Amino acid sequence: MIRWKKAAAAAAIAVTTALAVTACAGGGTDGGGGDSATGGTLTLGGFLAPTTFDPAGSEWGNRSPFYQSVYDTLLLGTPDGEIEPWLASEWSYNEDNTVLTLTLRDDVTFTDGSKLTADVVVANLQRFKDGTAPSAGNFAQVTSFEAPDESTVVITMEAPNPAMLSYLSREPGLIASGEALDNPDDLATTPVGSGPYVLDTAATVTGTTYVYTKNADYWNPDVQHYDGITINILSDPTAALNAIKAGEANGVKLANNDALTEVEGAGWTVSAVELDFQGILLLDRAGSMDPALGDVKVRQAINYAFDRAGLLTALQADHGTVTTQVFPTSSDAYDPELDSYYDYDPEKAKELLAEAGYPDGLEISMPTVSVLSPASYALVAQQLADVGITVKATDVPIGNFIADLLAPKYPASLMSLEQNPDWQLINFMIAPNAIFNPFKYQDPQVDEYIQQIQFGDEATQASVVRELNTYIVEQAWFAPFYRIEGSFATDANTNVVLSTTNAYPAIYEFTPKQ
Amino acid sequence: MLTFILRRVLSGVILILVITIIAYTLLYLGSGNIARTILGQNASEELVAQKAAELGLDRPLIIQFLDWAGSAITGDLGRSWFNGQLVSVQLASRLSVTLSIVIGAIVITAIVSTILGILAARRGGAVDGTVQFISIVGFAIPGFLIALFLVLIFAINLHWFKATGYIPITTSFTGWLSSVTLPIIALSIGGIATISQQVRGSVLDGLSRDYVRTLRSRGLSSNRVVYKHVLRNAGGPALALLAVSFVGMIGGAVIVEQIFALPGIGSLTVTATAAGDIPVVMGLVIVYAVIAVVVNLLIDLAQAALNPKVRLS
Repeated sequence: MIRWKKAAAAAAIAVTTALAVTACAGGGTDGGGGDSATGGTLTLGGFLAPTTFDPAGSEWGNRSPFYQSVYDTLLLGTPDGEIEPWLASEWSYNEDNTVLTLTLRDDVTFTDGSKLTADVVVANLQRFKDGTAPSAGNFAQVTSFEAPDESTVVITMEAPNPAMLSYLSREPGLIASGEALDNPDDLATTPVGSGPYVLDTAATVTGTTYVYTKNADYWNPDVQHYDGITINILSDPTAALNAIKAGEANGVKLANNDALTEVEGAGWTVSAVELDFQGILLLDRAGSMDPALGDVKVRQAINYAFDRAGLLTALQADHGTVTTQVFPTSSDAYDPELDSYYDYDPEKAKELLAEAGYPDGLEISMPTVSVLSPASYALVAQQLADVGITVKATDVPIGNFIADLLAPKYPASLMSLEQNPDWQLINFMIAPNAIFNPFKYQDPQVDEYIQQIQFGDEATQASVVRELNTYIVEQAWFAPFYRIEGSFATDANTNVVLSTTNAYPAIYEFTPKQ
Repeated sequence: MLTFILRRVLSGVILILVITIIAYTLLYLGSGNIARTILGQNASEELVAQKAAELGLDRPLIIQFLDWAGSAITGDLGRSWFNGQLVSVQLASRLSVTLSIVIGAIVITAIVSTILGILAARRGGAVDGTVQFISIVGFAIPGFLIALFLVLIFAINLHWFKATGYIPITTSFTGWLSSVTLPIIALSIGGIATISQQVRGSVLDGLSRDYVRTLRSRGLSSNRVVYKHVLRNAGGPALALLAVSFVGMIGGAVIVEQIFALPGIGSLTVTATAAGDIPVVMGLVIVYAVIAVVVNLLIDLAQAALNPKVRLS
């Protein structure tokens, strides 16, 4: 009897081991981690799932690979931020840059067999403008989209928009099949595009795994480096790291730089590009909520108060570059001198405060939020206290943070923001109606610069935007600390070229190592 | 029996009603500016206001709740505010993932606890000591730590199982096993620790009873005595613990799903609650409440089947 029980137990163990061994055989070939030699499957990891496959609701950034795999954009944004032909083979502006004319390729068909025509493009662009995508406002100043003939699209705007070409290389420029536009509910889950891959809806699990297979009739086979792409959502950093160590992916976007040594220890390569900056947004430049911030000397004093190199080491383990300007290195506005316009000089800060009429220091109200580490707030408060500025911190729940900042409820805040290309950055942080200019601060000199940039030719734009950058650094509109490295890890079989203007690399830039 | 079941179902329905009211109120108060969260920081204030109006977020709490409840009763749980998918569809596909690991964990827990408990009670001595040690260790170490440990050894170093992701049983049985084995083990450890001790105690108690001596004196083998008679009496308290463990495992599944990147309702709960996706969270609340009620009802029925005295109450 007892022997029977022992035998049963032994049998159970044997069965479990056998299953585990066969599971090992099954598990090895599933997941597609290892085989990305020419033609295999590229397995990517991302941490944000797309909310819809309808281009009219799309977003770029970390969601770009989902759309780029299955749709084409009108223009191509290269990793360096240049604009090249894609669905549109050529384009030109009229004299005053208010009318953009695009010529389409004539050899593009969608996966449902329908052709790419100017009418289809116009329908897509109009839908995006009328939709609720976060970037729908990009087309706010467009007065009309027209298709005078089958291969010509004409976009007419109220005023010149230096960022329009860039928009057409991102989500506003995504083109879905004309016939699919008639069924928007289906389009949300079953995209029909002209892109290099097709979504395999049967194998796809929404929110978790997206499986794409090669589009055999694609018009540009040169950029199809794989037979298929699988994108897995790994929102938990631990799960992402485990996937890397277990070899269950070929490329993974890293949410932060905390585990880089482990990633490299697993034989992976980490590439980085500086896309975001972190620092203090001195929002109340007119002093309407906090009169002290209305004085440029106070804002400059704040800039002198920070040991930026020390902060970079303490908060980002030196993964970044110290800076005092908000324009990125890829911009015409970028000036290497402006990376160190304000050095670490607490004495000078106190002097400036005294000159401004605050010899005994002052108090600033700033929000804190759980997204940014408590260490950042502690260090900021300490360095400001060292020059006599007391921070009155208010903790804000994460769901309210952006809304409260933009209300505006606070005159200043620590923040990480993306360093967009020039015109986008100006409209995001600097212009009187910019989203992150909630006090609507206006400065006649800045207004003039913005006019010149908007209506000028390329050469004027390049030189004036640099003058603008210098001006806002001298006027201490912000107190940036450093640019942060955004990292992407690839395994030993995969090469990637990161983009200087987007959080996620372009699908076209992944190649198998030969 | 029928009135028994009906009474339980009725109290379950009232429970679900109360829970949904409390949950909705907490979500309403705690989610912040949901329209802004949906659209991100690049959207203009006008767009955010438009989105808020579109979702009905500017209406009073009572109106919003009654609107949701009215549709929910007819089975329409609405669509996610973040990806427009039908809530019922999302829940259905994800529920199967969570249930496969939780039910697997319960089965493993029940079997292993029974074996270990009986072993410890009958053999005594060193075997008993070992089982007690295992219990203490399993009780003291948090589930997620065990999960991370398992991933490190069996997935990353030995490549016996998958570290992340889920393969449905319909796609490949071996693939499914390779993706659920480690999560199931991680979930079971805590339950085995407590329930094996419970079984051990009950069996020990049962073995010392007079009727056992009588049965043995009538010639029944000790195995027959244990499995046919003692276990039946010991089963009651163990089943009650199992019910509590099941509900605990649904919660534990949240962490395990995060670590193993499994597309179950646990990970959905975390992301939907953090984002403030109220239709999805309310759908989840109903699912969890229904699961708790059904599991407790089943356990009560099992108790009644085991022990005739229960049926009378």
